[in-house]
Amino acid sequence: MTALLEVTDLRKSYGSTVVVDGFSLSVGKGELRCLLGPNGAGKTTCMDLIAGRQRKSGGTVLFNGEDISSLSEHQIVRRGIGRKFQVPAVFRELTVRDNLEVAFGRSKGPFRNMTQFGRSAGIRRFDEMVGLIGLGDRQDVVAGVLSHGETQWLEIGMVLMQDPSLLLMDEPTAGMTEKETLKTSQIFNALKGAHTLIVVEHDMSFVREIADIITVMHQGKRLAEGRIADMEKNASVREVYLGTEGIH
Amino acid sequence: MAVNLYHNRRAQWAAYVLLFAALAVVPIFYNEPFLLNQLARYAALAMLAVSVSLVWGYGGILSLGQGIAFGLAAYGMAMTMQMQFQDPLTDPIPSFMLTNELETLPLLWQPFWSTPLGLIITLAVPTLFFIGFGIMMFQARVAGVFVAIMTLAMLAAWYSMAYDMQPFTAGFNGISPPMPFEFWGVPIDPYSAPAYWICIAFLAALTIAAKILLQSKFGMIVQAIRDDAERVRFLGYNVAYYQVVVFAISGFIAACAGLCWVMVVQYVSPTSLELSLSVSAVVWAAVGGRMSLFGAIIGAFLVNGIQSYVGDELQQVWMIALGAIFIAVVLFLPRGLVGFVERILENVRIGRALPNVSKSAKELA
Repeated sequence: MTALLEVTDLRKSYGSTVVVDGFSLSVGKGELRCLLGPNGAGKTTCMDLIAGRQRKSGGTVLFNGEDISSLSEHQIVRRGIGRKFQVPAVFRELTVRDNLEVAFGRSKGPFRNMTQFGRSAGIRRFDEMVGLIGLGDRQDVVAGVLSHGETQWLEIGMVLMQDPSLLLMDEPTAGMTEKETLKTSQIFNALKGAHTLIVVEHDMSFVREIADIITVMHQGKRLAEGRIADMEKNASVREVYLGTEGIH
Repeated sequence: MAVNLYHNRRAQWAAYVLLFAALAVVPIFYNEPFLLNQLARYAALAMLAVSVSLVWGYGGILSLGQGIAFGLAAYGMAMTMQMQFQDPLTDPIPSFMLTNELETLPLLWQPFWSTPLGLIITLAVPTLFFIGFGIMMFQARVAGVFVAIMTLAMLAAWYSMAYDMQPFTAGFNGISPPMPFEFWGVPIDPYSAPAYWICIAFLAALTIAAKILLQSKFGMIVQAIRDDAERVRFLGYNVAYYQVVVFAISGFIAACAGLCWVMVVQYVSPTSLELSLSVSAVVWAAVGGRMSLFGAIIGAFLVNGIQSYVGDELQQVWMIALGAIFIAVVLFLPRGLVGFVERILENVRIGRALPNVSKSAKELA
């Protein structure tokens, strides 16, 4: 398996506070990797460093063999890395349809887009997407009135509209009901294989549902990595994260 | 599926056509020179409000510096008109320069011997300035209230410059070209119907162009940036680039406003670079509805109309009255007058949409 994303010895510090401390990660094509760890372990910072939202202090990030760590956010996105935020971010004043419409687009330049009026360019892909995230009958609703779960799905749909080869998902089920979480896991399982995903998640039942291999972070370092059954038995993992009673 | 008539694009276009048609026929019914001049001034100010609506209402960039483009263009137009009056042989320099002990025409003024060149400079300089200023701000990701502060400071800088460079700008007195603007040998009397129609044509053309632009994908992305710039950035768009473009377009519209203003007023002074004008433009847009170009135009005509016809006593405290209007709008009509119309039309839904609503309501439950 060739690695799509190769993170080596990644470091990030704010002044004397080290947040990510020599973290390494290798994710193969088509894999779904879960990133676990207690609060403050540096998971979201890692996502930010990969996506270019923050600048690394050291280490390398190779995507498809190219060092992307000096590129700006939109250039990294155009290389094929999609990012979903921890706090769902959608365009609240625009309709669900327009949200997806903005997300879809081969041409990203302002002058090119001044002459784009037809909505047909994305239609087939649009229908597939609306079906996948299950917002078919909510297309003309303004995104600001969607429920929390729907907002999360809409953002996932927006990221998918660009057809990224690597998806970074930061706590996609945060705040979701059990039913909504189940639906999300179905969406993720449908994505596996065709897309490569890195998912930061706390919800263990959700992780069990979707994950192949999980990576556990602690204090900015990689603590352990392996199949979920092995991780549940791993003593150091249990100690820092899962609690002595095991996984709930 | 479109439910509210307010959101129906055809209905929107019909409203714009109706508005401009109504404005265009005014001289046929009331050929009153004073009234036409007054309305032409409002039309110029309405362009300024449209520029605010575009950049603030749609782009989410609260610019208090729209007066920079307005004022620079106003000076450019006044200089063009002044030089139309001067004669290269007998009377080569404006009289105010003589009193300021200038003996030759400054280099800054030389291009204005040519009217076409003068007009190009009048519109190009403010637009180019907005591009440069925009790049400076948006590359550095200045946003929110800091944009307001920076644009305000820049406006203040231009104001002092116009005020202090007396030999070039006549300082506080301002420039009053003795003759009306002459285009291709035809003088355009500021109190005539043609001058009025030129202003209305500018307003209509700029508004319609802006409206089309906002309906394109570019417009959608600009509005998306207003809602969440970070999300747009992570969809692969260069946010700063879009912001610079929309800021520059708004600067161009404000420059057209300044040009038309001086054409019908025949006078420019540092007051056009004063903070009160730029802030007033924000209030006009807010009163009418900043998220609608139509609303911005209505707001400009309405507020300026009220200002012209209130008694002398209220005139003294007009800025306070304007502030009160602004606070009232922010509190009670956050989407302005057109937002009020939107809310009314909300209740006039098309019948067949109702089952859909109840269906999704059931699913939610």
